[in-house]
Amino acid sequence: MPERLRVLVVDDEAPARSLLREYLGAHADVEVAGECANGFEAVKSIAEQKPDLVFLDVQMPKLDGFEVLELVAGEPGAPAVIFCTAYDEYALRAFEVHAVDYLLKPFGRERLAEALGRARDRLALATARSQDATPAARATALAASARGQGHFAERIVVRDGAQVHVIPSEQVDYVEAQDDYVAVHAAGHSHLKHQTLSELSEALDPERFVRVHRSYLVNVDRIARVELIAKDQRVIILRDGKQLPVSRSGHERLREQWS
Amino acid sequence: MHPLLARPARLLLVLALAALSGVPLAWMLRLLETRPWPAALAFAVPLQIFTTFIVLSAWWVCRRHPLSGVQGAGLWKAVFAQLAAALQTSVVRVALGAFWGVALQRWVYSAGLSRDALIQDLLVLLVTGVPFYLLSAVAHYLYLAFEASHEAERRMLETQVGAREAELRALRAQLNPHFLFNSLNSINALVGSDPEGARRMCEGLGDFLRRTLALGARDEVTLGEELALVDRYLGIEQVRFGDRLRIERAVEPAAAACHVPPLLLQPLVENAIKHGIQDCVAGGVIRIEAKRAGEALRVSVENPVDPDAPLRRGEGVGLENVRRRLEVFGARESQLTASRQGDVFRVLLTLPAVDGEAGGARA
Repeated sequence: MPERLRVLVVDDEAPARSLLREYLGAHADVEVAGECANGFEAVKSIAEQKPDLVFLDVQMPKLDGFEVLELVAGEPGAPAVIFCTAYDEYALRAFEVHAVDYLLKPFGRERLAEALGRARDRLALATARSQDATPAARATALAASARGQGHFAERIVVRDGAQVHVIPSEQVDYVEAQDDYVAVHAAGHSHLKHQTLSELSEALDPERFVRVHRSYLVNVDRIARVELIAKDQRVIILRDGKQLPVSRSGHERLREQWS
Repeated sequence: MHPLLARPARLLLVLALAALSGVPLAWMLRLLETRPWPAALAFAVPLQIFTTFIVLSAWWVCRRHPLSGVQGAGLWKAVFAQLAAALQTSVVRVALGAFWGVALQRWVYSAGLSRDALIQDLLVLLVTGVPFYLLSAVAHYLYLAFEASHEAERRMLETQVGAREAELRALRAQLNPHFLFNSLNSINALVGSDPEGARRMCEGLGDFLRRTLALGARDEVTLGEELALVDRYLGIEQVRFGDRLRIERAVEPAAAACHVPPLLLQPLVENAIKHGIQDCVAGGVIRIEAKRAGEALRVSVENPVDPDAPLRRGEGVGLENVRRRLEVFGARESQLTASRQGDVFRVLLTLPAVDGEAGGARA
């Protein structure tokens, strides 16, 4: 466990940030490493400053709190997160993504001290285990909870160093599995994301995205045709000419979609 | 479908009455030409039951030619249609009677009637058929009138309930708990850094709530009063958002004096913050315009939108609320249109311009 707790405060409202700063000032072992006013800044600061703990608002410009967490979770040294919001309806989601605590605005010093205590316990535990063992499981929970029941992800957020790309899901051509990562191909670019293909395919609208192969998820709107190249062996030709393999069960899924 | 068919108990009752009405008919036929009671009843009772089924067709004729609110030609048309239907029914009744009479004589139970007696019977059927049908038509008209008044009552109640509901929803939307929680959090922050500011904000919040309750209790307010309420609201939000929230206002005095339903404007401004300012890193300008154009009052609220903003659920609920309240307040020419041009979202309210007391006081 670190001697001093390095903390990042993320909230788009200045008074809320200054309140946290004031409260945290009373804790000698806490150092406020920075403040951010939106999701992009938060992702950048977390990557650069590597804080131990982040106080995260939910509704913010650019990326919401859950998207920020999705982008930074699963990395080695990912910070513990305490959500701070006026909305109680995200509480369940917050704990599903392993938030340390969920502070409902307005909150007092005692409540904050309690949350800090929990964060210290969590961080001590994480240090003892060296690292959170199941980043993939966390990411799954994140992907699933980033939207409610019956809602599918309208966009995919990808981090490249300190830079964040937001890809609307309708712009995605196809997604390719690469070990622990997926490569999201959209508009001629390819973005790597730390997630499994199954997780991503669960998050996306199944009307639009079909798992055509163990390693490929394709946007059906991009398919130009399916060609038979040998007995029982087919390839998908995308509109831009790119060829993707189709498994037998993948082809069946496609036919179901089209029937 | 005929309403009786959906209610077996009532249908049975009607058929029983029809069967009973066979007795006077049998009596009448016996007067004209003596025959045994059983023979007369065997002829009259089934015939009345059949005829009842036929005269129930008045239902469709009555619905086709309603009497409520009809005058002159329409009325004559209805009378003519009913008489024609009565005659048709009578003819069918006579045909049925002829068939049934002959069948009875020949195969079942001969009353030993002469051919002339049978024709006389049929004449009786023809003559009684017309009033029988007309009676049915009157009954159906009464039923329809009864239904209509029921329906009107139900609709009135529904409208009243709808109006109350909309009012409640408006109040609840106005006193959005998240707005209160966030405001309390801002006050909490100010207490430490700017106690004077915290006091001002408490005052502003109290003022806003009091005004909301006062305006919400009234049926109509002036646009000026609504704008004053919105000013209070924006004053509070300004503390949260600081420079990110900027306001531009262009309100004609003639527009400010117009009457509007209460608590209509603030939800629009709240939307503009929630789906506009809050999503923009650098914030932006909320522009409120009100103009009077002849008979129409036009109020618009514009806000910037960030195309990259995270999707938020519950979008459109606020607008839907306002739209429904416009409907409930019954101004038929009122409408709400929402449009997006580039990165600007704009809601335009059009209401009939009704003058309130002059200079609806921008306090």
